Amino acid sequence: MAPDAHALLSVGASAIEQSDASRSGRLRRLLTLPAKLPRWSWSVAARNGQNVVTAFVQIWANKGRSILTTLGIIIAVTSIITVVSFVEGFGNYMTNMVRGYGTQFMIIHPQRPPSRQSVGLRRVTLNMADVNAVHADCPSVNRISPFIYTGDGEIVYGVEKIDKVPVRGVSEHYQTIRQFFVDAGRFFGPVDVATAAHVIVIGRSVLKALQTDDSLIGEHVYIDGTRFLVIGVLQSKGSNMGEDQDETVMIPYTTALRLYPDLKDRVRFLAEATDEGHIEQADAEITRVLRQRHDLLPGQPNDFIVQRQDQMVKEFETIKTVAGSILGGIVSISLLVGGIGIMNVMLVSVTERTREIGLRKSVGGRRRDILMQFLTEAIVLCSLGGVVGVALGIGISRIASLHPDMVPLETPAWCVALALVFSAGTGMIFGIIPAFKAAVIHPIDAIRHE
Amino acid sequence: MMTSGQHNSANPTRDAASPASTPPPRSEPVGLGRQDAHAVPVIELIDLHKNYRIGTEIVRALRGVTLSIAENEYVAIMGPSGSGKSTMMNIFGCLDVPTSGEFRLSGKDVSKLSQSRLARIRGCQIGFVFQSFELLPRTTALKNVQLPLMYTQATKKRARAMAALDRVGLADRAKHHPNQLSGGQKQRVAIARALVQEPDIILADEPTGNLDSKTGEEIMAIFDSVYSEGQTIIMVTHEESIAARCRRVIRLRDGYVESDTWNDRPSKPSSETAHDKREARLPNDSHRLAAAS
Ligand SMILES: Nc1ncnc2c1ncn2[C@@H]1O[C@H](COP(=O)(O)OP(=O)(O)O)[C@@H](O)[C@H]1O
Ligand SMILES: [Mg+2]
Repeated sequence: MAPDAHALLSVGASAIEQSDASRSGRLRRLLTLPAKLPRWSWSVAARNGQNVVTAFVQIWANKGRSILTTLGIIIAVTSIITVVSFVEGFGNYMTNMVRGYGTQFMIIHPQRPPSRQSVGLRRVTLNMADVNAVHADCPSVNRISPFIYTGDGEIVYGVEKIDKVPVRGVSEHYQTIRQFFVDAGRFFGPVDVATAAHVIVIGRSVLKALQTDDSLIGEHVYIDGTRFLVIGVLQSKGSNMGEDQDETVMIPYTTALRLYPDLKDRVRFLAEATDEGHIEQADAEITRVLRQRHDLLPGQPNDFIVQRQDQMVKEFETIKTVAGSILGGIVSISLLVGGIGIMNVMLVSVTERTREIGLRKSVGGRRRDILMQFLTEAIVLCSLGGVVGVALGIGISRIASLHPDMVPLETPAWCVALALVFSAGTGMIFGIIPAFKAAVIHPIDAIRHE
Repeated sequence: MMTSGQHNSANPTRDAASPASTPPPRSEPVGLGRQDAHAVPVIELIDLHKNYRIGTEIVRALRGVTLSIAENEYVAIMGPSGSGKSTMMNIFGCLDVPTSGEFRLSGKDVSKLSQSRLARIRGCQIGFVFQSFELLPRTTALKNVQLPLMYTQATKKRARAMAALDRVGLADRAKHHPNQLSGGQKQRVAIARALVQEPDIILADEPTGNLDSKTGEEIMAIFDSVYSEGQTIIMVTHEESIAARCRRVIRLRDGYVESDTWNDRPSKPSSETAHDKREARLPNDSHRLAAAS
């Protein structure tokens, strides 16, 4: 602000001052500075306001060219907004889905640590004794359900036979933990589990594949050759991340272990924390109990993993942000291209308006006045491009969201703000060279320019 | 900043601008060397040279010009094309700097001033009128006149611009764009723009060069009246009839002053009462302000 402050100092005084303007005089004017400050800032604001008006006039006067020039910026901003809206929309959709599972539970499965670390470990197993120990010794764990899973069940009903059906062997708590409820018949209860009853609850997609309906309840089906009584039909949950959640059947885990004895040392289970606040603690308790049971020494890695849903949500959020930033960043490169377009046209404009620049200089315009004028013009031009781009981007996202198979796209406010700031910044960065070129034009050459 | 202490006893700029210290009116326009001993010339050139370099060739546009112009003079600069008239005007107007020699504006050596100080001088002390008007095309007459005020801290910009337009008789065309104005009107707007800052000097480089003789006459009438109100005017012209209206004619040839003559009987003397009018110049403006708003 030093030069402008200097301009302020000479307010009211004639332009040419005596060389040895007395020190006291300068000091006196310096002291009256605060009083003049409001008027000065108003004048600076007014001058820049005038620049903005001039910029609009200029842009409007060259409508066609202005549109072509800003096309780069418009396309860049439109793509940024659209891409980020997609990422954000899909990310939110996934997060909500994971949340929909319930975030209070965790899935524990046996897993061999990376080979180098697993030296000296015994066979990696997880069995029902482990599950029962967790149930007994972890105060922060509420419900628990083993999860005996095969994706390769064969179901036969009458003449209908379907392959590759996901079969889940679970306890009666599974329905509460995972929010799988029946809307016809019943779910199996503790007695069915305790007695390893041959009962089955069927998902709607399987029902459909078997070419039948709710009337199947009370009938028998065969899973891998074993006869089961159908006692309930699961309420439809739709698909999740491309996986049809209704394409499943559930049987008591005790029955499942008999059906697939190979899995008895590779049991997975779900554990639900007593409440949201005890998730960490439940995780810690389970880890402690299992490590103890598996005789792991301090320093040895876990031979199981605890997969927490709340962590999944966090991971999704992170993935969303990273993906959004990377994609947004890549697309932002197109802003650069747009900026170069702006620079080109501004350079042409400066040459075209050489006479105007010369005139402005001859009536008192300083270099920095001319610089500010052209810089303002570039910034206004780019900002307009940014605004149009944001509008188009939001429009495209809205229209895309209308498609029935599309998740709702959301344009985050930060992205809009960033896009606008970046487009104005592009104007500033790429406007500086043309503006500088304008500022240093010699008034004589300018007036002589044809 | 001032290299020579010759004239720093007073602040000539302020004297020139403020009505309170206007020097007592001189009875008769006086020639070089006959000037009032205490009056500081508005323009003073001492052995001024200006060279242009085109590639390896050096064009000597001014080759040792010495002259002095006092306040409220009406000077015509004549000479064949290429004789250095525009070059000299550009130096008067601080658009260009001499190669050697001294140029003083209101007693002050401006050669050492920064670009932004020079811009300020152009804005506050000099009013340019160009042969080709140089109006901004997409801008109304009023806004064109306001342009010099944009670069200052001036207040009441609109009212001052209106007053200046009124002075050239175009108050009713304030909202018109240049393409809606005739050549003469455009030049009048340009004169209003030169006047709006109350400059010390009006510099007009062939102001009637693009106009027919009748319109040129109108423009000259405006210059006459501005002069009679106390303005210093320096004008380049090719037409003897126009030069004949000025009080002093400087003829250049090949960068030299060929002659510098006083014209004691201007063809349309409009300056008999010049100095009486000059006293009333600033109060007059406030009338105009009132009339314009
Ligand atoms: N910017 C410039 N660069 C090079 N030569 C110039 C420039 N301006 C003027 N001249 C030369 O200086 C001489 C005087 O020019 P000028 O002052 O424009 O003459 P006039 O206005 O009297 O016709 C001419 O020979 C011209 O070619
Ligand atoms: Mg010329």
